[in-house]
Amino acid sequence: MSEAYVRETTLVTDDSDYFERVLDGTVGLSLVSFVVGIAALADVIALGATGSELGRPLLTLAVAAVGGVGVVAICDRLGLVSITSQRATNAATGVVVSLLALTALAFAAEMTLARLFGITLLVQAVAVVSAGAASRFDVADTTPDPSAGLLAGLAFGAIGLIFGAAIGGSLVGFDSTLLAGVPTWVVVTLASGVGMTVVTVLPREDIGSTLPAALIVGALGVTVTTAAVGVGWQWNPETIDGGFTGGVVVPLFVLFGSMVAGWAASKARAGFGARGRQLGAFYVVNVNAALIVTVMITIVVFVAVKGIGYAFHGFAIGALSGLVVLAPLFVLALQWARGPAGTARWNSTVRQLVRVTPLAAVGALAAVLLGVLATGRTLDYPFTYTVQVNREPVVLDTSLAITPALEIGNLLLIISGGFLAVYFLRKYGTLRNVGNKSDRLVTVRRLVPRAIGGLLLAGVIIAILGRSPAGIPLSETVGSGLVLAGALAAVAFTVSPLAAVGFGDGTRRERAEQAARVVSVSLFSALGLLTTAVLLESLSGANPSLGPVNIVPVLALVATAAAGCFALICALTLRKTDDANLRRILRNEGTLGLAAASGFVALFGLHIALTQAAYIAGPVRIGLTGSLSWPMALEAYKPLGPQPGGIWPAVVGTIWLVTGASAFAVPLGVGAAIFLTEYAEQGRATALVEIATNALWSTPSVVFGLFGAAFILPRLGGDESLLAGMLVLGFMLLPLVLITSREAIKSVPDEYRDASAALGVSRWETIRSVVLPAAMPGVVTGVILGVGRIAGETAPLILVLGSTLNSTRAIDVIGGFRFLNQPPFIINDALTQASAALPTQVWAVISAGVSGSPSMGWASAFLLLTVVLGFYAVGIVTRTYFRRKLNYE
Amino acid sequence: MLSYIASRAQVILVGEDASAGSLSVVSAAALSLAATILVFLFLPSLALPVLGVFVIVTAIGWATHQSEMARLLTLIATVLTVLTVAFITYFLFASAFPAFREHSAGLLAVPLDSNGNVRWFFFLEAVLPVGETQAVWNPSGGVYSLLPAIWATVIVTVIAGAVAGPLGLMGALYIAEIASDRVREIIKPAVEILAGIPSIVYGFIGFQVLNSFVQDAFLDQQASFLIAGLVVGVMALPTVVSVAEDAISSVPSSMSDGSVAMGATEWQTMKSISIPAAFSGISAGVILGLGRAIGETMAVAAIMAAGTGLSDPLFDVFDQSVTLTSRIATSYGDASESTVEVLFVAGVMLFVIVAGMSVIAQYIERRMKRKLKGNA
Repeated sequence: MSEAYVRETTLVTDDSDYFERVLDGTVGLSLVSFVVGIAALADVIALGATGSELGRPLLTLAVAAVGGVGVVAICDRLGLVSITSQRATNAATGVVVSLLALTALAFAAEMTLARLFGITLLVQAVAVVSAGAASRFDVADTTPDPSAGLLAGLAFGAIGLIFGAAIGGSLVGFDSTLLAGVPTWVVVTLASGVGMTVVTVLPREDIGSTLPAALIVGALGVTVTTAAVGVGWQWNPETIDGGFTGGVVVPLFVLFGSMVAGWAASKARAGFGARGRQLGAFYVVNVNAALIVTVMITIVVFVAVKGIGYAFHGFAIGALSGLVVLAPLFVLALQWARGPAGTARWNSTVRQLVRVTPLAAVGALAAVLLGVLATGRTLDYPFTYTVQVNREPVVLDTSLAITPALEIGNLLLIISGGFLAVYFLRKYGTLRNVGNKSDRLVTVRRLVPRAIGGLLLAGVIIAILGRSPAGIPLSETVGSGLVLAGALAAVAFTVSPLAAVGFGDGTRRERAEQAARVVSVSLFSALGLLTTAVLLESLSGANPSLGPVNIVPVLALVATAAAGCFALICALTLRKTDDANLRRILRNEGTLGLAAASGFVALFGLHIALTQAAYIAGPVRIGLTGSLSWPMALEAYKPLGPQPGGIWPAVVGTIWLVTGASAFAVPLGVGAAIFLTEYAEQGRATALVEIATNALWSTPSVVFGLFGAAFILPRLGGDESLLAGMLVLGFMLLPLVLITSREAIKSVPDEYRDASAALGVSRWETIRSVVLPAAMPGVVTGVILGVGRIAGETAPLILVLGSTLNSTRAIDVIGGFRFLNQPPFIINDALTQASAALPTQVWAVISAGVSGSPSMGWASAFLLLTVVLGFYAVGIVTRTYFRRKLNYE
Repeated sequence: MLSYIASRAQVILVGEDASAGSLSVVSAAALSLAATILVFLFLPSLALPVLGVFVIVTAIGWATHQSEMARLLTLIATVLTVLTVAFITYFLFASAFPAFREHSAGLLAVPLDSNGNVRWFFFLEAVLPVGETQAVWNPSGGVYSLLPAIWATVIVTVIAGAVAGPLGLMGALYIAEIASDRVREIIKPAVEILAGIPSIVYGFIGFQVLNSFVQDAFLDQQASFLIAGLVVGVMALPTVVSVAEDAISSVPSSMSDGSVAMGATEWQTMKSISIPAAFSGISAGVILGLGRAIGETMAVAAIMAAGTGLSDPLFDVFDQSVTLTSRIATSYGDASESTVEVLFVAGVMLFVIVAGMSVIAQYIERRMKRKLKGNA
């Protein structure tokens, strides 16, 4: 007891004694040999390397370690960070010292990496065994147990058996026999195993856990140092197919040896006993965790490095399009920069730096893009990539480029504008119960929805009657008139808040407050009316124009400008206002103005998409095709072109597969989850369904493929088809959606349901307006993660979708619908065709053997990995976001 | 009796507190959906119009009796989910049945060796039939033995388990007990992402890189069980980690707190309290991981698709052979009808084994949860 107290006081002192320093250094050395061992296993550093060939990579590592440790040490001295753990300090010193020593040895003595490894192992063995001896003869202050324990004994015994077999087999041979016909190697094996166990279990713990470890590490070290197992070593037994080479065995010896030595050293460092066992075990567990993360990062980085060159060949984007892409990023960066930056002084500086960095990056990019536009010169970064042409590798030059093109694609406008509109609408709070009421406003609120409904109805009627029934050009005249009326009304509605706030009696602040109702009603009406007008264009085929100029896009631009001006006025007024309530109103009005402006931009893009007519204003051209060029992802394979094109059909195929599968599985899964959790009695039946769905979830994917081939294919015409792929992936997605939705719905507290029921709300209303909204985050996360999994699924698709290499045509699902006047009335040829998909594209490269292009395969794998991990990242971020929100609010 | 059935049916369809008049519209919707399923099964070309009828009826019902209709729709979703499971089971077995009847035990025939003797296979040749040739898979000759594929699956799964089991347990311990909150928030999603890497990507890496590595490092002219097993082990790792981590985390903190209060170190608490208490959950994780390893297709198919025979000697991890899954994936495309039936037998085996493992794992997990709650 008294000893334990003494230990307690020494633990809290800052200094560590010599014993502990040496052992921490040994841990550092074993870490170094572990890392270098992995590098040797992966053949990053050759085992046979000598002299500067070996010294240079080691020097690089040493410099990196010195830099890393040095920065931390300097920061520690300056008081920026505080390193209190003596153990970390010592181990870091050990890492630096051992790396420097290894480098020096490599340069000074002409020896191979393998021999260097052997010496390292021997040093570790000596350190470990002397630690045990120091403890045993009470040189060091430790608290060992009477024995190292049976578990350690058995583990070392097992290792001893293997060593005995190896040593006996290689030294004595497998043929010689001892008395009574027992083979010698069996005797050696058993003796080694039993001896190891005895040495571990019988002595006091300090000897029992260091001596066997040192024996093992030392034996490995001797084997490697003497080159008994060295660089050119081979063992190729005749009975089996393969064999072993020094190139893989030596690194494995080193990995194993340094793991054992690190464990023993950690254990000794903490003075054996319970604390020592903890440190030893934690060492192994920590190294293992680091290894897992390293493997993951290596896989992702490896695929990225291999595939990224080919994936981005010929990538180019126009500067103007780049600016449009930057707009949403700018808003997001702004939002991030507005966040609070902490309080403590130097902390807040760093945080503020972190907060404004994205904003600065967006600004820098925008400046570069504007520079490209202003100078009219292309900014490019050239690189080369390899393709396979007639089974010969051909190196092609290409570049990443930002061109001064002034073209913008409609899709870009729709996405950017739509994103911003949604973003601002979410930021917009409410303007209800603010401002003056008037009868006229009430009338408008009543009339606008009717007008929208009327316009849509007219559109449907025109669409049904055809473009010109009985020779009357209905769509041209009536359609254009209605479209024009709708768009003009929208512009009028957008201008009216501008007028109401900008001009009139009183100060601008008063007007802004009084006009709040006008603002919300008119801006929402304007958005609704313009959307209707654009839809009406598509239904009636009308595109009113004045001479060569189309009117609707012009009106949309006018509306955008008006809404933007309105937002600007609000912002300017906001600067001069102190009244909190008024500020809130102004902020809401401004946000709504911005939402309307970005909504109009999106509608502008939609107009172009629906009417197929480009809009040209001076040098700027907004059309159906933009200036983004990305051959790998957005072009099909070109059989005889100078550049091989890409995998657009596979991208389209995967998009449709995921869409179809989700459309099938999400409603079913969520519906079933609702029934099982909210309606059904919890009992045997629900438990059975749960077990069945869980079993379905772990069913091998190829079995789903077989099911699809047996059940779905014969019912869809017998050929491999996109629809079958959608259904099979849907079947796979179904259990995951069901499981996660059930969990999400279950985790909604019963108080919610009780409170709702106490208010007299019916069960369905409760589910719809209380349970489902609360469970939505969980459901959404589950769906995203599930979609990520099925997006990369290959095996079932091989059976039901087919796998094609170098597909030249993307499947056109939307254009594939056709109506018939006989059952089944509607058919879609595209859905019943085979299609390419990203995962089957990779498989096609593999199964094509030598004629497949590996670089294309890497690029496809890279794109697939990006898509799948993108889904996972979004899912995980969503989950973390909602979890934080639930925990803190 | 009849009226009892009718009233039960009514309760199932519309619940207990249905409003008047809802029964007719709900049953109309249910009937039209049943008709859709039947038509899809037997006259698939007419399924779409009948589905249209269901949609129209449902829309009418939604407008008039929303809450009953919503209940019916969720009920339908449940029934369809259960039907999916039933259909998968039925169609797998039905498609495999002809092969069962034709070849029966011949599907497990032990091949001959080059001397014409029966290959040693754990003395199972006493039970299993003996093939007539050295060949085990020769569709044109009518020889279909799945034995090598089963053996290959076993070897790959054992290697994968040897990788994923210990590493997975240690990873789970790290995440559940050792890592700080901040590290856990990073490393847990990282493991999840590891689970998300598509198997074809692993397969492509194995096909492009690891196979040549094997040829250099293991003097092996071909792909090998070893590499396939290692890759599948890495793929099964996340499953083991996450299930085992759940199990360890679900050990009530009162238990470990008690241990710490007695003066035990963290490691003693883990070793003597957390792991024993969560042992069944951890083993469930390992079982699920092994299930994933058995069912893994693309990585195995990409790494070793060329092998055909039973490995020689049996435990030669440097040999190669197709597994059950890769047999299906690689042979299905150009298979004749009778071959396809044999492939369905392989599918049935996989389905039964993996589903069985999943059910066992769930049983173990449930029992553990009950036990930890203290009402075992």
